[in-house]
Amino acid sequence: MSAENRVEVGPAADFEDGDAAIVQVGRVEVGVIKAGGEFHALRNECPHDGGPVCEGKVEPRLVGEWGGPGERVDQHYDDDQCIISCPWHGWSFDVETGEHIGDDRYVLPKYDVVVEDGVVYVNSE
Amino acid sequence: MIDPSDHLVVDCDWHYADTFEQVAPYMPEPWKTKFQKSGWGGTGVKQNLSAFFPASTGNRFNYGKIEREFSEYPDGGDDKQDVVEGMDHLDIDVTLQISHLILAMGGISADDRRVESFVKGYVDYMLEEVLDPDEGIYGLAPMPYHDIEASLDVLDRIEDEEAFVGVVMVTAGASPPLGNRKYDPIYERCEEEGYPVVYHTGGSGLDDYVRAGYQDMIETHTLGFLESNMSQIVSVACQGVAEKFPDLEIVFMESGVTYIPGLVSRINEEYLKRSEEAPLLEKKPGDYITDFYFGTQPLEVSARPDLLEICFDMIGTDRMLYASDYPHWDFDSPSVITNLPMLDDEDRRNILGQNAVEVFDL
Repeated sequence: MSAENRVEVGPAADFEDGDAAIVQVGRVEVGVIKAGGEFHALRNECPHDGGPVCEGKVEPRLVGEWGGPGERVDQHYDDDQCIISCPWHGWSFDVETGEHIGDDRYVLPKYDVVVEDGVVYVNSE
Repeated sequence: MIDPSDHLVVDCDWHYADTFEQVAPYMPEPWKTKFQKSGWGGTGVKQNLSAFFPASTGNRFNYGKIEREFSEYPDGGDDKQDVVEGMDHLDIDVTLQISHLILAMGGISADDRRVESFVKGYVDYMLEEVLDPDEGIYGLAPMPYHDIEASLDVLDRIEDEEAFVGVVMVTAGASPPLGNRKYDPIYERCEEEGYPVVYHTGGSGLDDYVRAGYQDMIETHTLGFLESNMSQIVSVACQGVAEKFPDLEIVFMESGVTYIPGLVSRINEEYLKRSEEAPLLEKKPGDYITDFYFGTQPLEVSARPDLLEICFDMIGTDRMLYASDYPHWDFDSPSVITNLPMLDDEDRRNILGQNAVEVFDL
């Protein structure tokens, strides 16, 4: 990633887990999200209705496991799966893959992120 | 175009017009005596009086317009010969009999053994008096699902009986709805035994199905049957019954087909916004629904042909089961299927009989 084709986001130290920052990359907005100690960058446009998906909540995914006939489904937050949810209607996407958690045909485009000398950059190509 | 008389026709929803008088002698005590002393006699499904002072809006036989040649409907009191003659008349080779009276079980909320006792009596009565695989007359055993132990008793009773090929869950009045974990033991057992679960809508509570005050059956029958089935489809799909019991065959009966695309579209739209609320699902709930089987009756033959074609396409002709609902007032003949212009003859044969052979292992 050369200096010409990347966009500076800001100091990595400014990000706590769950934080997101919106940057302009070319003609689109991209959300840079820190989750599980890693940075991810996704298009800030929900495929549902164009909402600012990366301005939504970043949180572990609520999952359920069935213990057997007659048992309640045990629901718990899975810290290994982080999702971001569009504040307009709640469409939720895996921050790592950009895929909608209920239908992987809906995908937020991903962008490469690097941290160099303590600064976060998004590839603009 | 095929002629039903030249092909296998399996009717997945024939209602045996039973009466309490017929079933009560087979019921366990004390309910046998209670019923016999109740003074209800052979009233069974009689609606002559209730048409004027309705227990359910309106009159099933449309104030005398509807007459059945091969049944004692609406009064009830059929016997095996009524079924045999009716099948011959309609060119039906195989029927799955569903108790008429049990369709009202949703109206009983008391925690007593009425439904259980009726079902146990009905199963014994049908085995003794009516069901006959050699004549193509099979049965579906009603589940008194408010009592899981009683339901498992019924499954014990039928497990070695060739004449019973599945179970019925009446969708009207089931609370909690039928996707609840409470019913898991029934589904688990049915999956083990290879019994399809046939969810069948019902008339109980139709007048007040959502709100009181409807005036005629055209209103309550249009809406109530639909709501009873839809409410359970949503529960069964969202709670992941098909994920919990992947080999269980799920069948929904008697609300036609045009509601399915709308329900599938709506539930999928909800799911995309609230996916975490259905955590057992591996795909959209609508994709489970279109894997269910659907009885075709009462088929909306007057609908726009292109709409009907979309419905058949979304559900799949391999998922549709011909059902007459005979002798009920709005029954469908096999010609309802053979006359559909958008089907080829293989689709017609599958819907009329071959799909049911596979689902019910006939």
